[in-house]
Amino acid sequence: MSLWQALFMGLLQGASELFPVSSLGHAVLVPSLLRWSFKQTDPSFVPFLVLLHLGTATALLVIYRHEWVAIIRGFFTAAVRGEMRTDSERLAMLLLVGTIPAATLGVFLENRIKSLFTSPYEAAAFLVVNGVLMLGFEQLRRRTERRAAVASESRDEQESHFAQAERISFRAAALVGACQALAFFPGISRSGITIGGGLIAGLRHQEAARFSFLLATPVILGAGVVEVPQLFANGVPVGEYLAAAVLSGVAAYASARFLLRYFRSGRLDPYGWYCVAAGLASLALLRFSL
Amino acid sequence: MAVGLGVLGVIFIVLAVLYALGVLQLFTSGPGNHYKHAILLVVLAVASFVAASFARPKTA
Repeated sequence: MSLWQALFMGLLQGASELFPVSSLGHAVLVPSLLRWSFKQTDPSFVPFLVLLHLGTATALLVIYRHEWVAIIRGFFTAAVRGEMRTDSERLAMLLLVGTIPAATLGVFLENRIKSLFTSPYEAAAFLVVNGVLMLGFEQLRRRTERRAAVASESRDEQESHFAQAERISFRAAALVGACQALAFFPGISRSGITIGGGLIAGLRHQEAARFSFLLATPVILGAGVVEVPQLFANGVPVGEYLAAAVLSGVAAYASARFLLRYFRSGRLDPYGWYCVAAGLASLALLRFSL
Repeated sequence: MAVGLGVLGVIFIVLAVLYALGVLQLFTSGPGNHYKHAILLVVLAVASFVAASFARPKTA
């Protein structure tokens, strides 16, 4: 992999990790469509992905640094006291409950699922599925809005009827966490599926995105840190990979800022349509070798 | 209930150590140290201890 390819992949991963469009799907599809010769089964590709993910996780930690301090403090306070009294304490416990199913399924299923679906055709097909899921989540939300008779209100007013992340139930937090396992299929977006789960659980769009990003941080960070020793294997161009990771972090930071602002009143539909269109176009390009 | 959850936490810690040392190979891809499994079991242990703390009888 050349330096420019590494930087491009860093930018792509950082930008697509938090957007509900599947970074893994794009990481499989784009090099195939560009006919780049590097193989993702190459042993040095894993350390590369590790660094890119650490870049993304760092960006999320920077954005939510104050919140994480409160969450960690709240976690220990509530754990020792055996009782939740503040929003930070409840959020800390919700994140713990949401992380357990994701981490369990990740440890036992991630490599098995990823090794089953390595072809760009499958990534393109799952990207279409991801798009349909995003559109389905929004249809369910619109139905809820109609039932609550808020369909005629402005978007800001509609959103005000829904809850903050701290108010999600523990069962819903566990389900949203478990849904992250679907992102092991290349083309299915982790942030998309968790934001959608948050919407079904009755969260505002912006709060669903916030909960999704907070939930993703320990999983992405944990998975990355565990793989760090692989960076010191012979033949790994750490300098190039670090540059790509920095770019990935910057892109992730900008993406998260944009998305949190967008979801104040925006919906998942544009990303759903994008995934359907990109998936179908990729299938056509791959099929007819255009 | 609280005692049971505490015991469960201790079991998770023991399993985590066994995975980290490479003694336990259940549900793994092959021989070696399985730090991912160990970390997961530590997280489960922490969750068990927290649940035990929540389940213990509170003094007024």
